[in-house]
Amino acid sequence: MIWVTWRQHRAQAIACLALFCALAALAITLGLSMRAAFSSDGLPACLARSGGTGCPAAITSFVDKFSQGAASLINLPLIAIPVFLGIVVGAPLLGRELEQGTWRLAWTQTVPRTRWLVTKLGLVTGGLVLFGVAVTALTTWYYGPLEQVSSRLQFGPSSAEGLTFTASLLGAFGLAVLAGLLLRNTIGAMVAAYIAWEIPSAFVLLVLNGPGHFPAPATMRIPCRDGCPGAGVNSVPPVTGHLGDSVLSIARSGGDLVVSYLPASRFWTVQFIGGGLYLLIAASALGTAIWLLHRRTT
Amino acid sequence: MTAGDGVPALRADGLGKSYGREWALRDCTFSVPAGSVVGLVGPNGAGKTTLLSLTVGLLAATEGEIAVFGERSRAYTAGTLARVSYLAQDHPLYRGFTVADMLRLGQSMNPRWDQRLAQTRLDRLGIPPGRKIKTLSGGQQAQISLTMALAKRAPLLALDEPVASLDPIARLEFMRDVMAACADTGLTVVIASHVISELERLCDWLLVLTAGRLQLAGPVDDLVAAHQVLTVPRPTPDAELPGTVIDRIDSDRHSTAVTAADLGQLAQAMRQDWRAEPVSFEQLLIAYLQRPTRAAQSAGLSAGPARPGDRSRSSQTGITS
Repeated sequence: MIWVTWRQHRAQAIACLALFCALAALAITLGLSMRAAFSSDGLPACLARSGGTGCPAAITSFVDKFSQGAASLINLPLIAIPVFLGIVVGAPLLGRELEQGTWRLAWTQTVPRTRWLVTKLGLVTGGLVLFGVAVTALTTWYYGPLEQVSSRLQFGPSSAEGLTFTASLLGAFGLAVLAGLLLRNTIGAMVAAYIAWEIPSAFVLLVLNGPGHFPAPATMRIPCRDGCPGAGVNSVPPVTGHLGDSVLSIARSGGDLVVSYLPASRFWTVQFIGGGLYLLIAASALGTAIWLLHRRTT
Repeated sequence: MTAGDGVPALRADGLGKSYGREWALRDCTFSVPAGSVVGLVGPNGAGKTTLLSLTVGLLAATEGEIAVFGERSRAYTAGTLARVSYLAQDHPLYRGFTVADMLRLGQSMNPRWDQRLAQTRLDRLGIPPGRKIKTLSGGQQAQISLTMALAKRAPLLALDEPVASLDPIARLEFMRDVMAACADTGLTVVIASHVISELERLCDWLLVLTAGRLQLAGPVDDLVAAHQVLTVPRPTPDAELPGTVIDRIDSDRHSTAVTAADLGQLAQAMRQDWRAEPVSFEQLLIAYLQRPTRAAQSAGLSAGPARPGDRSRSSQTGITS
């Protein structure tokens, strides 16, 4: 069965390897130039000396330069890869067997179909996890300098670091496998899985990482004993005093400044909620597919 | 597992399969001795594929059971899968695989796989192992499917419409290979087919299904001996004819009837202006295929060896072997 799985998925495995190499080339090229700029702008020295308070202009220009335009080129593939890869690998796994009738061949050898499916899912999931972890390691390295001077709770890092990349890849894969079994059709399964995958993704993108702000942002009261600081939401470093925080709003209340902000530690909270949601979806979809195939008698 | 040891190669007992409220197969009871070559005949939708799928464990029975060499078939268990080699309709193969890949798949999914048998067969057929499946002709693809089924080394070989998509030459070659394999190994074979001429040459046992009911089951020679073709003047009512009238064609002056009657019954009922002939294989099949489903009830013949406690079933119309 291991050989059969390899033979049926080796083209995808090679494509994944090629994709990883292309991403690595892009990330390393951009990452090295980011590191060069980081040093030449004098940011390491400034951070060591004053924690960033001494060079707000340099930090702002560095962040602008590397989170917009050509330097953010890497964000787009990182957003698109999990869903498309998951669907392209998952949909044919059962969908094509059922569509082309090869299930009658595959399931009448001496391997019972449940074992056939569990073996295939185990090996393919393992391969996808390997790919996901490798890409995550790459992007974590890539965003390193940027994250020393800005919040990680941004579009690029939040979707390509931590758990989200691998978990959303597995979520799309699981949905596509299940859709293939139910629809008995590869293309239909791809479309259905894509639509289904957009539901948790909308939650992650809009609520966890977006304007929905769940869980609720943190609040900090800053007493204005010596007159309130004139800081705005975009001040560098943030009014909270920590470069990794992202300030949402500042209001005056009595003699205090009330700051609503996303603390740097929120990154992992959001990753665990979002990643957990995707993993839950992947596990339920794959579990349902195995259960349906196991008990199906028609 | 040779013909001598008494365990039937295939035995169905009250076998039925329903999809929702529709019965695809019902009340199916028969017993086929080992070493037989069984023709499974019926119109499209008669339940042939359902019967084969139940046998190989692609489906679970709704009622009753089917056993292969004494072991009950259970859907998707390794034991059942190991007892039957199944060649599905349209001989599905992975189109992107090479021939060698297909054999390696067989090897990695079947503990009793006979790689030498597979390679020898493909060498003899002149199919290069490096060729992609999708570049092969339909006949060659069917041969690869057959090779995989044979190399699986199961004692029962089930073929579902194996030659339906093949040209006449490929049909002949394919069937010749099936027969050679049977002769070599003592395999029991079940062939579902529409091609009556092929079945006549190959089969020594018959199962006839119409609308999910078993119409006829038994050794071909016994079945032929137990039926007669009578040409009688019109109008002679069915009741005057010996045995049970299976099928009757009325022309202007005469009626030609196929009846389930042995020579003794025939001799008793025979009249001077009647003409009696032995039934041909084709006539027999056509008669049963055209017959309404439940008309078999009165035939009073039982399919397969009688067993104690065996209830009389409406569809048992074969001959005790």
